[in-house]
Amino acid sequence: MNVALFDYGAGNLHSLRKAIEACGVDVITTTDWAEALRLDALVLPGVGAFGHAAAALPEDRSAIRVALEGGLPCLGICLGMQLLFDGSDESDGAGIGLLPGRVRRLRSAVVPQMGWNDVVITGDPVFRDAAPLIAYYANSFVCEPTHAADAIAWSEVDGTRFAAAVRRGRTVGFQFHPEKSSVQGLRLIENWVTLSARGEADGGARGALEGGRP
Amino acid sequence: MLRPRVIVCLDVREGRVVKGTRFRGLRDVGDPVELAARYEAEGADEIVFLDIAASGEGRATLLDTVRATAEALFVPLTVGGGVRSADDIGPLLRAGADKVSVNTAAVRDPGLLSLAAERFGAQCIVISIDAARTGDAWRCWTHGGSVPTELDAVAWASECRQRGAGEVLLTSIDRDGARTGYDLDLTRAVADAVPIPVIASGGAGAAEDLRDAFHQGHASAALVAGILHDGLTTVGELKDRLQAWGVGVRPAPDRDILSGAEP
Repeated sequence: MNVALFDYGAGNLHSLRKAIEACGVDVITTTDWAEALRLDALVLPGVGAFGHAAAALPEDRSAIRVALEGGLPCLGICLGMQLLFDGSDESDGAGIGLLPGRVRRLRSAVVPQMGWNDVVITGDPVFRDAAPLIAYYANSFVCEPTHAADAIAWSEVDGTRFAAAVRRGRTVGFQFHPEKSSVQGLRLIENWVTLSARGEADGGARGALEGGRP
Repeated sequence: MLRPRVIVCLDVREGRVVKGTRFRGLRDVGDPVELAARYEAEGADEIVFLDIAASGEGRATLLDTVRATAEALFVPLTVGGGVRSADDIGPLLRAGADKVSVNTAAVRDPGLLSLAAERFGAQCIVISIDAARTGDAWRCWTHGGSVPTELDAVAWASECRQRGAGEVLLTSIDRDGARTGYDLDLTRAVADAVPIPVIASGGAGAAEDLRDAFHQGHASAALVAGILHDGLTTVGELKDRLQAWGVGVRPAPDRDILSGAEP
């Protein structure tokens, strides 16, 4: 399996690349969307600011949306998860719009949220053998899905509950950094790779698999 | 619940971890990649590399060290020391640092913080403040604690936050290496003044000191170095004791699980 790791041109991709490669798949770091959407799976990493990353998206967002809706397995991490939504209060620029909802500033006395936080998980297969989960966050913004059912895990900071993870079809988003969450985080990446390779990633939940990839 | 963090600091010089007083009597204590991974296995929540060479040649070596470490370390890595401009930050992040700490360069040019935060995001810009008590307040020092400034530590922390810093690494020069506990008054004064996380640093001698930094100092994280490197305690032991006192640190990982899942 060839996994595309999209590079918006800012920040650390080394640990993430290494964590994915450790699952026995090839990782191709790319800045070319056409190439990224041709490979077997897509990873949107979590570094930089929303506006900067949105500017690196193709003008026509529907190309990505159609690919994801068509069953291309995708993993969005932190900012990468936020890009799956319609837009962000952080900066201008439209997201991919796969998930209805908006990215809002985190309501907390201390922002950014920096550190390890408990994640309350659901039975989604990406969380197999990962409980109890404590994951590393470094974010000032959180996603507000229009449909609560898109969230597959939740965390809480300073009394505010927010979506820790989302899924739509074969696309998974983590607001935390699995590649910085030690052993448990690596397990999540391994689970995602395994599910993506097998072609049964959505755990029998929502559709979006029609016409999917082999 | 957001967990109070235990952060391990390693002094790095030309590709090796060294120990000793900052500039004299340095002793080689090991390979940074191996040591960082070992501290992750013991339960360190983050690792900090402090580059104490900061020469031109040492810089290239540092990038190699960061690159090799990032490929083997799966907790966050902060790199500090010798950052002179916003242009120095990009290469460190690209090499694999998750955060970069800045001290002297930000005092010389505070605009550096805004520029860096805009370009890379506030979450990866750490303002490192070395402070020493002067009367009823604390003054900032630069150049590794050797040059005094006119800056008040609390006011400077606030300004840095406004300019874009996402976290404060706050070191008490008075307590550094003394192992008599963090400067709790300093830590609390800064933590209560800024709405960004504050890492207490300088003075850790025992688990009690970390507990006090969290409870009395209002710190989000506590930095530990000497007592670990000298083998006086381990991250796992510190965390066990903190947990017994009701401090909700992330438990140290189970060694069996770790060896089974390591790539």
